[in-house]
Amino acid sequence: MRALVVYCHPDPASFTAAIRDLVLEKLAQAGAEVRLLDLYARGFAPALTQPEWQGYLASPDNTAPVAEDVAALRWCDTLIFVYPTWWYGLPAMLKGWLDRVLLPDVAFLMPDGANRTIRPGLHHITRLGVFTTGGASRLLTFFIGAPGKRTLLRGVGLLCHPRKKTAFAMHYLMDSSTPESRARHLARVARKMNRLTGARAPMPQQARA
Amino acid sequence: MMRALVLFAHPCAESFSAALHACVVDTLHRRGWQVDDCDLYAEGFAPVLTAEERRGYHTLPDNTAPVADHVARLRAAQALVLVCPIWNYGFPAILKGYLDRVFLPGVSFRLEQGVVKPALTHIRKLAAVTTYGGSRFKTFLAGDPPRHVVRRALWGVTRPEKLRYLALHDMNRATQAQRSAFLARVTTEMERL
Repeated sequence: MRALVVYCHPDPASFTAAIRDLVLEKLAQAGAEVRLLDLYARGFAPALTQPEWQGYLASPDNTAPVAEDVAALRWCDTLIFVYPTWWYGLPAMLKGWLDRVLLPDVAFLMPDGANRTIRPGLHHITRLGVFTTGGASRLLTFFIGAPGKRTLLRGVGLLCHPRKKTAFAMHYLMDSSTPESRARHLARVARKMNRLTGARAPMPQQARA
Repeated sequence: MMRALVLFAHPCAESFSAALHACVVDTLHRRGWQVDDCDLYAEGFAPVLTAEERRGYHTLPDNTAPVADHVARLRAAQALVLVCPIWNYGFPAILKGYLDRVFLPGVSFRLEQGVVKPALTHIRKLAAVTTYGGSRFKTFLAGDPPRHVVRRALWGVTRPEKLRYLALHDMNRATQAQRSAFLARVTTEMERL
């Protein structure tokens, strides 16, 4: 197993950092090779720039500004996101990682003569994990439609292997969390990680040309 | 005079989004709105919520200090119009960062005896003008997160009289005629705003 963990939180002392440590521990137990991208620590710049947009379709040069991230994405078969939910969605820095790294001929293939629509390009990813926290209640998040969860599990998920294994856990009502609720959540994350790493994932597929 | 805050998020002046932006600003001007045109890329908006901001997020009123100018502009508006492309089923990061950093406790919502109350109710008209690379069907499969953010989350803190979510799907294959039709639709909707 080759796992890429994309972690995004500004505060090293946060609960989200504890979730990241648990995810890394579970991956180590499963014998996975791991690459960690700590976006805040790297000072990742989330705004797609004008030159990037103008060269967006010019593969393979379009990957140059984010070469390390693209290499990690192509290398992994397991992709895990750990972040806080802000405004029902991803922190801008993580959203910007999607904008700048999920490029044509990396994450998807643009329409061409033979194909009328955009096709997925991440069929080598057979496990997808999403671990987050949020201030809103479960009911309110459900009512809003859980945009952050949908962006990753469905938006990014549509690009991955069609029979991928997925895991999702969110600690709701973070602002009134207690040591007990946080411990319960960590136990939940541990169970989900055990299932994700233990599951028989489908064989990776190469992207269709 | 009524003020409209237009939030625009696209790095390139030659893009179709820029044409939509110009159309929105011109039409609102013509209809007598005072337009505060906030081009996030041109203004060099920094979308990253910092560790200091995160720690002081709930400390009213000091939490607004790093973005005081943007908070003042938002509070002066009676209409809010977002103009942006949809990338990976979400707003461009620079616009998501605007929500992270400017829609703070005390600005977008406030707590009254433990109950969340909307705090942007002076915004009576709310609209989003967007373009998608994916088809309508793919967007539906993905659950269309940005539409939910506007129609439910932003609606919740503004409670506007009027809300419009305008979207052009399958941008990469859109014909000139489809683009012109969408521009005409945006013009009509902005006139009616």
